[in-house]
Amino acid sequence: MSGFLAVLAAIPITLLVTVGAFIVGFILALGLVLMRRSKHRWLSFPARAFIDLARGIPPIVWLFFLFFGLSMGAIKLDALQAGILGLGVVSSGYLAEIFRGGLLAVHRGQYEAGEALGLSAWTRYSKIIAPQAFKAMLPAMATYFIGLVKDSSIASVIGVKEMVFTANQYARQDAETGIYTFFLAAVIYIAVSIPFAVVARRMESKLQESGAR
Amino acid sequence: MTETIAETQTETVPKGRYSGKVDIGLKTPKYLVELAQVSKHFGSNHVLKGVSLRVKPGEVCSIIGPSGAGKSTLLRCINLLETPDSGNMVVAGQYVDLGKPQDRRALLSLRRNVGMVFQSFNLFPHLTVMDNIALPQRRVLKRTEAEAKEHGMELLERVGLADKADSYPAKISGGQQQRVAIARALALEPKAMLFDEPTSALDPELAQEVLTVMKEVASSGMTMLVVTHEMNFARNVGDHLVVMEDGAIIEEGDPEQIMSDPAQERTRQFLAAVINH
Ligand SMILES: Nc1ncnc2c1ncn2[C@@H]1O[C@H](COP(=O)(O)OP(=O)(O)OP(=O)(O)O)[C@@H](O)[C@H]1O
Ligand SMILES: [Mg+2]
Repeated sequence: MSGFLAVLAAIPITLLVTVGAFIVGFILALGLVLMRRSKHRWLSFPARAFIDLARGIPPIVWLFFLFFGLSMGAIKLDALQAGILGLGVVSSGYLAEIFRGGLLAVHRGQYEAGEALGLSAWTRYSKIIAPQAFKAMLPAMATYFIGLVKDSSIASVIGVKEMVFTANQYARQDAETGIYTFFLAAVIYIAVSIPFAVVARRMESKLQESGAR
Repeated sequence: MTETIAETQTETVPKGRYSGKVDIGLKTPKYLVELAQVSKHFGSNHVLKGVSLRVKPGEVCSIIGPSGAGKSTLLRCINLLETPDSGNMVVAGQYVDLGKPQDRRALLSLRRNVGMVFQSFNLFPHLTVMDNIALPQRRVLKRTEAEAKEHGMELLERVGLADKADSYPAKISGGQQQRVAIARALALEPKAMLFDEPTSALDPELAQEVLTVMKEVASSGMTMLVVTHEMNFARNVGDHLVVMEDGAIIEEGDPEQIMSDPAQERTRQFLAAVINH
């Protein structure tokens, strides 16, 4: 019974890792996609390399690297920080590519109309391009986020006390009932994912109605 | 005593920097748009082969010619949507050395003076008709929202679409969208307007309502450069006709004159092809 309660109590950590990694990834990805689209090779090349590394190296390796690797150096990260940062780095690679796709989905004429009207680059991107790109990439972003809810469980390997870590602890103490704590964790993952999926779908159809192309 | 461009432009460009460069027809300020030896390559494709053109204030200059002649590219060089390789131009008193990279302020001031209307309208689909017209005014002219909307409403009335102010672009016809696009460009009070085949994507009746609006804009004294296949517009509304082929102007002058008796055999062939269509 105490196992069940402990798993429930770990929900906030799972959400913290997920949301934290998503925010870190989102911010890094904004910078990456701008660099990636630059016509200067010294900006686009490093961004490309970073995106490939973020996605090409398994998340678990990123976590080990940040947690154990950096700890040997000057920067000390605790497990939670390393978990959020590591999954954030991985997310940045995927989100940067999602953003890039979103920007490509905006018709070239939209960029040109903004330029021809004499709008500044900031206005063009914030008022014209981003809202349209956001609409185009919302489904992919929602899918990624829901995937991240589950993938946050990888952080258990470096000792982040989220749901899977907690379930595992109890499973080890009591092999017979332990399986039920995992079952509970599974139910909670589903229960958390569904509302996000519903919200994302609502937002999509709302955007579809308004700006309808 | 001829005025030089330098004298008209002392505030924006120091005299000495370019006075030696303006050597090809850029002598008088009586033109609102002057292009001299504008050249542009796309890769190895020489798309504009040193085009020179002058348009007087209030003049409607129609540009015709076969597909691939470089008409769109020429128009897009004027507001620097394309970057020419070389040449000079003066647009609404602003001198531009086309061979050099332009700084941001020069670019914005040029675009502020020049409006553009595209074949594909390019309204912003996520904004209402009114917001399409109001947003640029607020950002470029720093008008308040109330001013921008008031001005926007006047323009929508002018193009006959006041009742569509709150519609989204996707909910109105192509002809209506193009009229909104014209209103959006006019709202910034440009000194010249560029039209790149504004009616080519439209059915004939819808094209007609756009042409009617363009005719009204022309009669209000706007300087217009219009790439078009509408020979009636070029003949009846246009003051000057330019025929382009293969990156160069092959013939230009009075529209009536050229259409009834072209000097170039190539123009005759082109006109025959368009008119029989
Ligand atoms: N962005 C570009 N990149 C490469 N080549 C281009 C580009 N834009 C135009 N061209 C080429 O430049 C030439 C002139 O094109 P342009 O669009 O100016 O012709 P046009 O006279 O407007 O033709 P149309 O009547 O078909 O619109 C063509 O050969 C075209 O393929
Ligand atoms: Mg064209």
